[in-house]
Amino acid sequence: MTQTAETYLDKTELVLNMGPQHPSTHGVLRVILKLDGETVNGTDCVIGYLHRGIEKLAEARTYPGFAPYVDRLDYIAAVSNSMAYCLTVEKLIGAEVPARAQAVRVILTELNRIASHLLWLGTHALDIGAITPLFLTMREREFVLDIYERYFGARLTTHAFRIGGLPRDIYDGFQKDVLDFCDYFIPKVDEYAQLLTGNRIWVDRLTGVGVLNVADCKAYGVTGPMIRAAGLAWDLRKALPYSGYEQYDFNIPTCENGDTFDRYIVRMEEMRESVKICRQAVANLPDGPVMGKVARVLKPPIGEAYVGIEAPKGELGFYIVSDGTTNPYRVRVRPPSFINLQALDKMSKGALVADLVAIIGTLDIVLGEVDR
Amino acid sequence: MNPKPPATMQTTPWESELTSRLTERYGQAISEFSAYLGQNFLIAEPDAVPDLLEFLRDEEEFDMLTDLTAVHFPKREEQFEIVYILYSFSQNVRLRVKTRIKEGQKPQTVVPVHPTANWMEREVYDMFGIEFAGHPDLRRILMPDDWTGHPMRRDSALSNMDERWVQENLGIESGH
Amino acid sequence: MNWNKLIRTVFLVDLFQGLAVTFRNQNPKNIVTEQYPAQRPTIAPQFRGAPVLNMNPETGETLCNACGLCALSCPEKLIVVKSERDEATKKKVLTEFTFDTSRCMFCGICEEACQSDAIELSKAFEMASYSRDGQVWDRKKLEDGHHPPQFKA
Repeated sequence: MTQTAETYLDKTELVLNMGPQHPSTHGVLRVILKLDGETVNGTDCVIGYLHRGIEKLAEARTYPGFAPYVDRLDYIAAVSNSMAYCLTVEKLIGAEVPARAQAVRVILTELNRIASHLLWLGTHALDIGAITPLFLTMREREFVLDIYERYFGARLTTHAFRIGGLPRDIYDGFQKDVLDFCDYFIPKVDEYAQLLTGNRIWVDRLTGVGVLNVADCKAYGVTGPMIRAAGLAWDLRKALPYSGYEQYDFNIPTCENGDTFDRYIVRMEEMRESVKICRQAVANLPDGPVMGKVARVLKPPIGEAYVGIEAPKGELGFYIVSDGTTNPYRVRVRPPSFINLQALDKMSKGALVADLVAIIGTLDIVLGEVDR
Repeated sequence: MNPKPPATMQTTPWESELTSRLTERYGQAISEFSAYLGQNFLIAEPDAVPDLLEFLRDEEEFDMLTDLTAVHFPKREEQFEIVYILYSFSQNVRLRVKTRIKEGQKPQTVVPVHPTANWMEREVYDMFGIEFAGHPDLRRILMPDDWTGHPMRRDSALSNMDERWVQENLGIESGH
Repeated sequence: MNWNKLIRTVFLVDLFQGLAVTFRNQNPKNIVTEQYPAQRPTIAPQFRGAPVLNMNPETGETLCNACGLCALSCPEKLIVVKSERDEATKKKVLTEFTFDTSRCMFCGICEEACQSDAIELSKAFEMASYSRDGQVWDRKKLEDGHHPPQFKA
């Protein structure tokens, strides 16, 4: 009996493509799955479908001229990106941002955190199968985007802050709008909790899925709500405060198990804490100018700086190298989504395909940031 | 009349217990301890870097590699500067470790020390062409697999990008 | 034996609580959907939409003094400003102004750079055209403003 070659049917491992066009991959993410029946043995992410060369573009733009491009990184949380970029350039040139500008920046960035977590919640629930939260969270998001439209002029790609402060002072009614939104929003968070937190389907789908403990998070460089859900109470707003965050009183929500359900709880609590910060910032808004003393033509001295902030997805950092001219020499974006996505392989070993969808959702990736 | 700005980075020397421990252990392999704008960094020999990062992780509690990137200075003899940004949770400080390599030199990978460096080193390879010796899976990550050229090098531009790939795969003339 | 938990599990209490939220939002007074295009949306005054070149309301002449700051500051370099020098006043006079809206990202840097309030990003946002050339706006189109035809049933 001659030995026949091993046929494809003899293998138990199936290689399946979760292609770039997929409703649950939150963008153009391609995941190549090695499956044994329904169990995932390994994943391989293929990214780069949204690579636009933003870091290369930076070399041909001036410092203020690059600011609109920065919104396009994590396009859900454009204001955070702008905050990180402006803070880095301000560090390079040694500009001082006035207190009023810092407080308004904090309000807008915290609203951005709420908006980002709302979108995350809606799409994550949709992936798991709960369709209602999507419509409700999008409705709440609209109110935040209305405030952005009245202040910045744009809803999504806001071109938020200028180097040295803000583009203009707040409009009449800004404080009322923010406080009205805060009052309106807190009962809505309770509504989402009523829809999801006690729901047995939700709990069963999410507990024990995608566990990542603190040691793994540190090894994989995973930051943000993921490391807080694992148990480490670390938040860059408290550890290395920027833009006046040290004045505000807020908690860092943590959980113990580091699974998907804990990340959901942490992000829900973060939304409540953001509302707290907004209320405090609006109540104590200082007077004064909104723009610091900054030269017309920005030429930072030769040097480099790295500044990291607590973006909704994790630690977002900019490493900018300046060569003394009007254009930056090198802009490196430390993308939290890219680095968190690396942990997908670790989190999904041994999980089922349905759990994989939950894990990709809980990572809270935005492909604009993964690919830049 | 404004005076001419200085032509090099105005660093200040950085000395602390950490630097003396590192000098004791690594001696000449670390050539500079400086700070710029309050951010400390050190410049080490490329061969010493994996051991240095392991020492920093185990003994000095710099347990997270925040970022790994490269900068291209074509006019220097050692053209590429690889930058490792480390963070210590317990001490709440950041540290930059920089190393300089020539064109064609292959630095050792730090993936055994910090698993997060896997994709970061792949991106540095993809964008700059720096190959990391010992990397478990060194291939392109952002650009297509059969792309030629390394986009983030200072001499790569729209004018000399891989037009053959665009023509073959997209069927268009890339317009400038 | 936890009776409370047993009753909650058997009678699907948590699922019904969730359904209560869904049904509460079915109330017609909770509907927030705007019926566009029948209902025109309210646009904030600050909105960065289609570019326009403003005219002096009294003299009817353009406010643009052809300084070219908008073209210099645009990150995408899509503004082209052509001018000639007037012999009498020795000032620059605008002849051509081209704005490529297909590459514009509506960042507003040109609006901020302009010292004479000439170029402004208006509230118009419906900027579709049938061809790519229709996206490149010349001076006349920018001065007239963007008024897309509206069809009503």
